[in-house]
Amino acid sequence: MIVLSFALACAGFAGLCLGMERHYEQVFRTRRIPPARRRLGVSAGWLLLALSLLPAVLQHGWGFGLVWWAGVLHAAALLLALTLTYAPRLVLAWAAAPVPALLLAALLPSL
Amino acid sequence: MKDGFRQSMAWLHTWSGLLVGWVLFAVFLTGTAAYLRPEISHWMRPEIAAATPGPRDAEVAVAAMQALAPNSPSWFISLPEPRDTSIRVFWRDPTAEGRGFRSAVLDAATGQPVAARDTLGGEFFYRFHFQLHYMSAFWGRWIVSICTMFMLVAIVSGIITHRRIFADFFTFRPAKGQRSWLDGHNLCAVLALPYHLMITYTGLVIFMLMTMPWGIERAYPNQRGAFNAEVFGNAPPRRPLGQPAPLVPIAPLVEQARQQWQGGALGRLQVSNPNDASATIQLIRDDAERLSYNPQSMTFSGATGALLSTRGEGGPAAETRGVMYGLHIGRFAGPLLRGLFVLAGLAGTVMVATGCVLWAVKQRQQAAKKGQPGFGTRLAEHLNVATIAGLPFAMAAFFWANRLLPQDMAQRGAWEVHVFFLAWGFCALHPLLRPRRQAWVEQFALGAAAFALLPVLNLLLTQRHLGASLVAGDWVRFWFDLGLLGCAAVLGFLAWKVARHPATASRTRVAAVPRPARATS
Repeated sequence: MIVLSFALACAGFAGLCLGMERHYEQVFRTRRIPPARRRLGVSAGWLLLALSLLPAVLQHGWGFGLVWWAGVLHAAALLLALTLTYAPRLVLAWAAAPVPALLLAALLPSL
Repeated sequence: MKDGFRQSMAWLHTWSGLLVGWVLFAVFLTGTAAYLRPEISHWMRPEIAAATPGPRDAEVAVAAMQALAPNSPSWFISLPEPRDTSIRVFWRDPTAEGRGFRSAVLDAATGQPVAARDTLGGEFFYRFHFQLHYMSAFWGRWIVSICTMFMLVAIVSGIITHRRIFADFFTFRPAKGQRSWLDGHNLCAVLALPYHLMITYTGLVIFMLMTMPWGIERAYPNQRGAFNAEVFGNAPPRRPLGQPAPLVPIAPLVEQARQQWQGGALGRLQVSNPNDASATIQLIRDDAERLSYNPQSMTFSGATGALLSTRGEGGPAAETRGVMYGLHIGRFAGPLLRGLFVLAGLAGTVMVATGCVLWAVKQRQQAAKKGQPGFGTRLAEHLNVATIAGLPFAMAAFFWANRLLPQDMAQRGAWEVHVFFLAWGFCALHPLLRPRRQAWVEQFALGAAAFALLPVLNLLLTQRHLGASLVAGDWVRFWFDLGLLGCAAVLGFLAWKVARHPATASRTRVAAVPRPARATS
């Protein structure tokens, strides 16, 4: 479940940075974000970040879950920042990360 | 004072951070190492084999203490846990030198004392990070507490100064001189901001009874004992009656505690006046199982086995402090969560380091326009090398001393620490003799070599090398050796980075010209 939380956080941050001109340019080589895409990126980003709390709390309860969530958000944001600097196209892969993570969580809920 | 709120906050951020930056770097780095305290202790005592905690550990330990110190007024027993699988015992012995305590490490299977080398282990980094060394714990704690207060000021003023906190959230632009240092500083600060705030604030809370005692002094004038009893539930000690009475068997008590804690594990035992009619046995729950550090415990009569008192969660105030204490030391964290804590601690270390370097880089750029850099700039640059590159090397030297000092040396444990400070002292003098950049490269490279050779030293001097740990399934030692190689890789990378960094301003300008591919897109 923590893997799912981490994947959701990665996808959430990916959405947020694809809604920002500077990072959109790093990935797509143009600063002009279509307004619909920007709205989608930002709203989906925040939604996914909020959702990433859910698996952490489901597995560990509120006390430990919030601690886990803070750690997961921090690690995911660091990963995104490094990806944007050194391998920007990979951000799109992070945006899709919840799909395999969901499958993994269904098969092995303890992870 | 400068005009404008943000400017004055920037001023405050710079100076509150710089003034104590070097102490904070050492506190952050050794504090991060302290998350691995049991692992470090385990690695530094290669005589002790890894075992698995079993249900009979408490019985073995009590039987061993009956043989070792039947007449001692109190026993303190730490039971094995997955991270540190030996039994550790302390007991009061009025004939012992110093503070009147003796200690031993027991084999969990047989209860026999293990002849392990004399070392402080991970305990050294843990203690250093909140009370320093070569001074009384009192002054060390005050110094660290004051520096922590500066840290809190620097964090809050830093958030206000950093106005583009969301616009720059993911931004890191490498190889751009001062810009890159600022990006790196912001990134490490902002991404782990909840952690930095938590660790700084809870660090202050842990010592609040020392730094801000006035409220308690007023409510409990000259009665700290009464305060402790009320808040933390510490029962007053019982005097021995002088009537011999054998200790009841421990196993049923352990079982009773397990039921009370709904399957929770026993972590520590404290026996007062063993074999006397007034004997008490206190069973303390393993603190890895709860967020709060206020330990749950049950106290039984040692002569009859009757339950005397139970300590659960404290009142709201005590429990708030307990949770903050627990969050700070992170002892509840399993391997993965502990990894996240270590990552966040390293982010804090890098944040402090980049902040100190950033100040020096800025000063030097301003000085380049005016002429020679001043004494302050050169002093800061010197301290940057000695702290940021010197401390990791000193930590490696501490591990080297643990492997190389003779087993039967007097004060062996203390000498390991002396070697740590000798190595650090060398790093403090070394930049005087070498050009600035060479000093960085050489100290990082020295640290990298020292860490990289530790697993080799392990192979030559002990039975617990990487291959043996793998075969024995001793995962703590296995991962620890790999972690040492990881430290070597990081330091080696830093040395390489500094070495190929463009030296002169003219070369920096060439590097800053955008590449054609970027310019056309």
